[in-house]
Amino acid sequence: MSEPSDDAFAEVFALLTPQRLLHHPRATGEGVSVCILDSGVERALLEEKFRRLGHELHPIQGGIFTASQLEPLPYDGHQSTPHGTTVADILLTLAPRIRLYSADVFGPQGTCEVEVVIRALRWAMDVWHCKVINLSLGVPEQRLQQVQRRQQLLRVIEEAYYKDVLVVAAAHNEHPLMRSYPAVFAPPLLSVDKAAFADPLDFAYHLSEPIEFQANGRGYLGPFAAEPATSWAAPHLAGIAARILSLRPCLKPFEMKTILYWMFQGRCKV
Amino acid sequence: MREQETWKAALLISAYKIPTDISAMPCYNDTRGENRGDASAMSIGSESAETILIVDDEEPVRRTFHEWLEGANLDCKILTAADAESALMQANQHAIDLAILDWNLGAGNDGLRLLEDLTLFHPDVTAIMVTGFAHQATPLQAMRMGVRDYLDKNQDLDRTTFLKAVRRQLDRIRPARRARQLHQQLIAFRSAVEKVLPLVQAASALHDPVPLPAAVNNLFRFLQRTTDASDGVLLVRSYDADRQPAEIYRAYDMDGQRLDVPLVPFALSLAGSVVSMQQPSLMDRLDQAASSGNLELQPFERGRRSLLAAPLSVAHGLQAVLELFDKQEASGAASAPRGSGRESSFTESDRQLVAAAADFGTEMLRQALAERQMHRVLFDAIEAALGASDSMAQSLDVAATRPEAPPPAAVLKRLREGLASGGSHALGDSADAVDADATLRLAESIRVLAVRHGPSAVQHCIRLVESLRQLLDEMTGEIRS
Repeated sequence: MSEPSDDAFAEVFALLTPQRLLHHPRATGEGVSVCILDSGVERALLEEKFRRLGHELHPIQGGIFTASQLEPLPYDGHQSTPHGTTVADILLTLAPRIRLYSADVFGPQGTCEVEVVIRALRWAMDVWHCKVINLSLGVPEQRLQQVQRRQQLLRVIEEAYYKDVLVVAAAHNEHPLMRSYPAVFAPPLLSVDKAAFADPLDFAYHLSEPIEFQANGRGYLGPFAAEPATSWAAPHLAGIAARILSLRPCLKPFEMKTILYWMFQGRCKV
Repeated sequence: MREQETWKAALLISAYKIPTDISAMPCYNDTRGENRGDASAMSIGSESAETILIVDDEEPVRRTFHEWLEGANLDCKILTAADAESALMQANQHAIDLAILDWNLGAGNDGLRLLEDLTLFHPDVTAIMVTGFAHQATPLQAMRMGVRDYLDKNQDLDRTTFLKAVRRQLDRIRPARRARQLHQQLIAFRSAVEKVLPLVQAASALHDPVPLPAAVNNLFRFLQRTTDASDGVLLVRSYDADRQPAEIYRAYDMDGQRLDVPLVPFALSLAGSVVSMQQPSLMDRLDQAASSGNLELQPFERGRRSLLAAPLSVAHGLQAVLELFDKQEASGAASAPRGSGRESSFTESDRQLVAAAADFGTEMLRQALAERQMHRVLFDAIEAALGASDSMAQSLDVAATRPEAPPPAAVLKRLREGLASGGSHALGDSADAVDADATLRLAESIRVLAVRHGPSAVQHCIRLVESLRQLLDEMTGEIRS
């Protein structure tokens, strides 16, 4: 009874290969708007780097989000700290034709409140209409004890899910010893741990409650890029998702998760 | 003249020696049992009510005035005296706000001289002069001494005019009196606050037994011994958009001493990167890392080989980063001098150690910051309290200048008429040279001088004017007695 249906699904899922999806000529990120909530992006540096590599980037846009103002301050093309530029570089390395938005949630103060993250998430969804949002940041569980604030964060992640926006969130670097929000809200988002992969397009589905995915944990630009970190793993998976979305922009988050799952399963069988 | 001075001196001396029980003093109120040295028995109003002193040598007049005042519900304490001596004794016992004085007290005493003596007890006393010879009033001296109104026994003095004059003066006295009381309370408040200040300072010192630089030094020494780092730096950066400058970014060496070097912007610094990593980070080959383009090394980071850095998330808008440089490979010999080992790389266990130390350092800095903020709040509160008392005192000073306003128009009119009708004898027989208006202006100037600077300033000015007159007389050859 189960054998025929298994064969039927095996036939369908066997089509979900990296070769067909990630290496497709159109899998460049074109037509996909991606927001990185981070510490800003050094625009000229990235434009220059990718121009030398033969890629003309879409103009990087963005804003600086603060606790005191509802609307973001204008993005001046600079980073608040190098972290965001390293994240953006990873995304653009995997999907150079994405339309990148930088939501600088750290700003000149160098610290970030949950409320600012929530505001930036909504702005990325509702104003910039981003399809993918990368969160290479998180709040350790012990620092987010207030249930109400956790619920507010969960609520905005669920809003993204219902708006077909794919949120990619980095696990804590000490996962599974340390839980971190919003990565622990795994079901409506892609939660990512770090791992070592030779191919930056490689990844793994390795459910380690509540984190589901693993991606390459090393970056390419910046002072600590070579050091394995979940901050670098998340944009790798976001870049992979952007490549797939450039083939079919209307994919829903659960569809993306399924595709990634079966792509990984198929690779394991090989 | 000498006799008068003697009389006044004797009277004042006796007044100062008066016992608190003044029941033996000749006073109209004695017969009614109201003047027994018991202030409450004499008080119509509250303890803080104004005190009115009636001085008249005619008993029916005193009684009538007292009845009028008592029946008017003025909420005042009313005292009476039949002569200057008993009036001064009353003044020695009570703070007189308003004196209703008979111009001619008999026995050679006049109300103006009594008023002059009363001002020695109460410089702010206001007076209404009752006279049958208003045109003979000496405006210059009277105004200077605080006479604010005249009541003419022979013309329009009845209950209505009397109470109207009293109420008018009470309306002037009451705000000034409240201001004076407030002023005294402010002085007491300020004195109390100033006593608190050293206590707060002492508490501040008591709560900070280990100065922060020493604590940082201890932390670094611990890390240096456990990780074999050759050197270290603590970077502290605070950012407040509402402050000028918004960013304060400083580096301290392992002894907690500030490094006087120009720092690269936080956004391009290793420290900024470490803060955003939110975890202790290792790095080898620092110079290579700097070549990535989005990073500049600080002067004390250049030439270093390896780095172990940890963020200390102290507070919102305040970050600190511990940076340890160039791990030395242990030489093995316990007695070997520090730095004699070969260079090595920081390890994962070093990172975990620094992570724990960073947590400890974070708490240390948070506690230090919290204590400093608490003390700052206290200091600010004290400063604000002192500032508030200053501004309040200034506003009271402004209010206190209100008595400089000229006397009522009716009084001035009467004074002007008196002067114009030949009363110029007050200033000698120079009516041709000085008209009534000029005399009043001079009188008003002297009155303002008295209000602002007190009777001694007026005396000083009188001496100056007399000296000037003497000089002019000598110059013109005109000798006057």
